[in-house]
Amino acid sequence: MSLQTLNTFQVVALPVLLLLFAGSVATAIRRPGSRRAGTLWALVWLAAGVAIARPKLTTAAAAWLGIGRGTDLVLYCAVLVMLIGFWMTYTRLRRLSREITLLTRNLALRQAGEPGGAPNAGERHDDEPRNRAIT
Amino acid sequence: MTEPTTDTSPPLTPATRDCVFIVIPAYNEAERIGRTVAEMRAEYPQVVVVDDGSSDATAAAAATAGAQVLRHVINRGQGAALQTGIEYALRRGAGFVVTFDADGQHDVADVAGLLSPILRGECDITLGSRFLGGAEGLPRTRRALLRAAVLFTRLISRVRLTDTHNGLRAFSRRAAAKLDITLDRMAHASEIIDQIRRSGLPFREVPVRIRYTAYSLAKGQSARGALRILFDYLLRRFTE
Repeated sequence: MSLQTLNTFQVVALPVLLLLFAGSVATAIRRPGSRRAGTLWALVWLAAGVAIARPKLTTAAAAWLGIGRGTDLVLYCAVLVMLIGFWMTYTRLRRLSREITLLTRNLALRQAGEPGGAPNAGERHDDEPRNRAIT
Repeated sequence: MTEPTTDTSPPLTPATRDCVFIVIPAYNEAERIGRTVAEMRAEYPQVVVVDDGSSDATAAAAATAGAQVLRHVINRGQGAALQTGIEYALRRGAGFVVTFDADGQHDVADVAGLLSPILRGECDITLGSRFLGGAEGLPRTRRALLRAAVLFTRLISRVRLTDTHNGLRAFSRRAAAKLDITLDRMAHASEIIDQIRRSGLPFREVPVRIRYTAYSLAKGQSARGALRILFDYLLRRFTE
């Protein structure tokens, strides 16, 4: 593919995606804690780059999945990822809100001269790094 | 002997009253909380007010009236405030926990009626019902909303009650210890019913009187509030 065959959008988008890809790869290598997240993001940027550089490929993939056009496939994927993102943000927000409540309760009990927090103060602590993948 | 057949409950001795903890969640209730606490204190010495991050003088008014005041530094909702008050009461050795609304819509005289089946050992939990008792000045729309909630509870929680959203309830110590309200805002009413059902402890509805005033009505739920409650509750139920 020579430069002449790239359309304007490709000229703008591909370098940006390349940078993002490089950044994610660097994160995955340098920070052991974010290995999974870095790899996942690198794959996302790579997929986006391929889809933009070779739109025909998405059409082929769409046809294989029984969807008419490549752009439709991309749209569906985008919507899906967005919904998953919303859901993850929402559950995280709720966990945060729960923790704030436990904190507030603990504080109220302490101020009233009742030492210690709620008996369930140390409940679930499932937010290990693995659950932070996409966030 | 002409003993009344209606009430065979043991008398509420001062010693018994001393282990009854009245938990009153309050958010911006400075105007009314003092009176509610004072009326309650005339009958039950242990009154716990949980000031849920009010911006007015709720805490001071409650303390002046003689309540033990707990303060949420930020507003966390009625469910959260109730749980805080219940945990406090249990730590202070409560034998019975009664939840009561701050806005003056409940009648202190009804507390004895809620406690007596528990004192007699007939059940562990009593729930106040305005539809068994009396609901003065209840607007038709509010009545329809509450009826819908009753029907909803019958379908979703499979518990037959006549009034599911009444803030007046009484718990034995072991029942109160089983409560763990996690729905911070108003959906806790449904959550409590689910937890009562799951605890397997016997419960019963007791008629109570509700006095609706312009003040308590303004503090109550609108239809839009009800939608939000429904959303909170269903999300919780079907995601965890």
